Amino acid sequence: MANVLRHLPELEGMELGYIQGILKNMDDDQANLFAQVYRARRKDNQMVLILCLLGFFGFAGLHRFILGQIGLGILYILTLGLCFIGTIVDLVNYKSLAYEYNIKVAHETLSMMSNNTNYFPNVNTKTGDNA
Amino acid sequence: MAFFSYFQIQMKRIGTLIRTFPLELVFWIGALIGILFIDPYGAQHFTLCPLENLGFHWCPGCGLGRAMSLLTKGDIAASWSMHPLAMFAFGAIGYRIFELIRHLKTTNHYG
Repeated sequence: MANVLRHLPELEGMELGYIQGILKNMDDDQANLFAQVYRARRKDNQMVLILCLLGFFGFAGLHRFILGQIGLGILYILTLGLCFIGTIVDLVNYKSLAYEYNIKVAHETLSMMSNNTNYFPNVNTKTGDNA
Repeated sequence: MAFFSYFQIQMKRIGTLIRTFPLELVFWIGALIGILFIDPYGAQHFTLCPLENLGFHWCPGCGLGRAMSLLTKGDIAASWSMHPLAMFAFGAIGYRIFELIRHLKTTNHYG
C-alpha cells in the first residue's frame, strides 16, 4: 500500500482522495512509476483558471482546447465564450473541469501500466536487460 | 454538545453536496431548456448577455441563441442567416452533455 502524500504531494482535495484510492492497490515501485507518468500528463487547475481568464481579453475557450474538448473550444473562440456567459461559468467551475480531465488521465495511465509487461523495475534488473 | 455535533454533520453533508454538484451539466441542460422558450421572431428580446447590458451592441456570439431556437422550429435558412454556428453548437453541447453524464458516476469515487 503506497501513500499518495509521498508520491504526489502536490495534489489536493477530491483529486487527492481519488488518487489515494488508486494507489492503495500498488506497491511503492508501481506507485513511483504511476506518479511519474501522472505528474507529467495531468493539468494544473491554475492553468485552466488563467486560460479561462484570457477569455475576457478576446481569446476565449483556450482551456477547452487544452482539456481536449475541441468542439466546445471552437464554439467558444468564435462566439467570444458564448458572449462571456460560458467563460464566467467556467471561471466558477474550473476546478471540476481540471479534476475531470485528471481523472481521465489517471485511468489512461493505469491501463497503460497494465498493458506494459515490464513495469516492475526490479524485474528488469534481474533479467539483465541492458539492451 | 449533541446539537453541535449534529450541526457539524449536517454542514459537512452540505459541503459534500456542493463539491459534487454537477454545475456544468445543470448549466448546459438549463441553457438548452432556456433556448426552447425563446421567441426568435419577437422584435425586442430579453437578454442575459453581460456585453449587451454593458452597452456593446455587437459581439461574435450575438444571435446564437435565437439561431438555435429557429433551428428547433425547423427554420434552417433563417437560422443560418442569424448565426451560422447554431447546428455546430447543438452538436458540441449535446456531445458535452453526453460525456458529462457518462462520467457522472466514475468521477466522484474510485472503484
